[in-house]
Amino acid sequence: MIVKPSFNKSILQTCLQVTSPRKELIIASLGCLIGTTLLLLALQLYQDAQSYLKENEGPKNYFTINKKVEGGALVNLGKKEESFSKEELDNIRNLDGVKRIGGFTRNQFPLTLYIWPTGKIGLGAAAKTDLFFESIPDEFLDFIPEEWDWEENSSLIPIMVPKFYLDLWNFGLAPSRVEYPSLSNEAATGMPIEVFIGKNREATLDGRFVAFSKRINSVLVPESFLTWANKRFGQPDSGDFYFLWKEGAIDGPPHSREQILEMKNEPGFASWEVSPLNNPADRSPISSITRILDKEIQPSRIILEVVDSPSPALLQFIKDQGYELNREFPKQDLIKKVLIGLFIGVIGIGTLLSLLSIATFASSYRLVIAKSAEHARNLLLLGFSNQQISQVFFASFTRLFFVILILTLVVGLSGKSIIIERAREIGITINELVSLNTIFFLVLYAIVFLFINKRVIDRSIHDLL
Amino acid sequence: MLIELQNLIPEPIPQKIVEASKVWGTNLRFETNSNILVSAQSGMGKSTLLHIIYGLRKDYSGKLLIDENNIRKHSYQEWENLRKQSISMVFQDLRLFQHLTARQNLQLIPKVNASSPSIEEMTAQLGVENCLDQSVFTLSHGQRQRIAIIRALRKPFRLLLLDEPFSHLDEENQKYASRLIQEVIKANNAGLILSSLGASPALSFDQQISL
Repeated sequence: MIVKPSFNKSILQTCLQVTSPRKELIIASLGCLIGTTLLLLALQLYQDAQSYLKENEGPKNYFTINKKVEGGALVNLGKKEESFSKEELDNIRNLDGVKRIGGFTRNQFPLTLYIWPTGKIGLGAAAKTDLFFESIPDEFLDFIPEEWDWEENSSLIPIMVPKFYLDLWNFGLAPSRVEYPSLSNEAATGMPIEVFIGKNREATLDGRFVAFSKRINSVLVPESFLTWANKRFGQPDSGDFYFLWKEGAIDGPPHSREQILEMKNEPGFASWEVSPLNNPADRSPISSITRILDKEIQPSRIILEVVDSPSPALLQFIKDQGYELNREFPKQDLIKKVLIGLFIGVIGIGTLLSLLSIATFASSYRLVIAKSAEHARNLLLLGFSNQQISQVFFASFTRLFFVILILTLVVGLSGKSIIIERAREIGITINELVSLNTIFFLVLYAIVFLFINKRVIDRSIHDLL
Repeated sequence: MLIELQNLIPEPIPQKIVEASKVWGTNLRFETNSNILVSAQSGMGKSTLLHIIYGLRKDYSGKLLIDENNIRKHSYQEWENLRKQSISMVFQDLRLFQHLTARQNLQLIPKVNASSPSIEEMTAQLGVENCLDQSVFTLSHGQRQRIAIIRALRKPFRLLLLDEPFSHLDEENQKYASRLIQEVIKANNAGLILSSLGASPALSFDQQISL
């Protein structure tokens, strides 16, 4: 028997087209639209926030320690800063989880900076500040900027400050002073800086911010510069002057350590005594200062690289020794937690709404099919297959669903561009509108949504006969 | 198509009727390509028999075999294929789509039987050619009956089931319809089971059974 397929699809559609349950479909569509939009936005923003935080994260495995400074200003007057001894450094170096340590070198001369945000020529004003420089071995820098090299007679001192300082400038200082403009990274690196060295400004050098560190909370210059400058402009501090005691009596005005050491070969040197300027009665044998000199000058602040974030044992050691630990930018962990919580909430609501809308769609389509059940049943009796009939309903559902998906994209992406705009206003740049991951998720979501409703429609038709 | 009934008893039929019946609770064969007339009064189970053969009812005991296969074991898919390719039926309530035109109703079938005459020929033969573009809703029951018969004949089949197909047709129209049915059955090399309230239509039958 020769048979030819004849039926006209449009007649089949006309046959099954009856009034649909509008109210239910509108509710389901709205639920689907809102749910999917929320899911889409939450997912996309979560990724944006993650990548933003990652880019701006203070690394967890670097931190600095120093000995605690205690007491008021008067107590500490004349007291030398507490540096780490060689043994202490070795102890720290050998602790579990410590990869390496490096010491901070500090400037030993007064330092004043003039920063010219709008350049030295014109109407701009300079921000003037007394400041300090520190240096650490280059391997501890998060990156080594191109202009980081410094040699004697170089015209510029490269300076690296924490990114945080730039934020302080932009969000703290600039808004309150007309003469200080907000600065982008590029603008900030272009600012001329005058560096005055010495109490009476014996030397003036030019400087530039060359980079903004996210790792080290200090004003950094190349080690080579600081070594040179300390040698050239460094002044012995008051702690390095002593009263010299010969045979139980103070011998003349205070002497510097170097002056005392020059007298090493004089007779009776070993029996002399010394006392600090702020406490002349506190005598100690002369050997106490010759011994100190034999040792290297040790840093008072060190930077540690640990394997992961500091282990509890390490933290306990630091506490026991009375050291002070500075983790750079620790707040970010909290921000991250809050963000994650927020997104989980939004994703939860979005998922719930989407599930509800899947359920509403399912029952709406059961209703749609119920309304044309008689026709569908007659078609089955005529020999039309389940597939041919459910295809008609599924096609109408798919059309509706894609309209919703497109609306979701329109609403979601407009929402996102508003968010991008707002974020830019507070100095956060979000680059991409929608990530591949999100698109992948959306496709997967659509497949699941379509699949579930296909099943529901198939089942409903199947149950007709 | 060979149809065999083996002690077939529909559940809702009263015991009394079963006992008096020559079909229910007996073993019966409808030979391949034969024309069978099943006549009885109302309520004896004529439609039930046709519905069981068409796979619409499963509330019976005993067995019904089509080409030696127990139809109870047919899958959903197998029934789909049977209805699409092998069995065509005119229901007592016709099951036309009232919101479509007569022509649309005739076009709306999953497969067209190549050996059946065209829509125009058949409608002309049965005198409903002028109703083709009218909505079925506006047709008389007699006109609808003829449209339903033509639709059944347009499908491919090896067995044609007609459930009181002439109940609203006058004698002359019954004659035209019978002639067309006979023609198409012959062309298809198919069998026929026709149920009737009593009056024997103008068709030649190989077997007449009264329920």
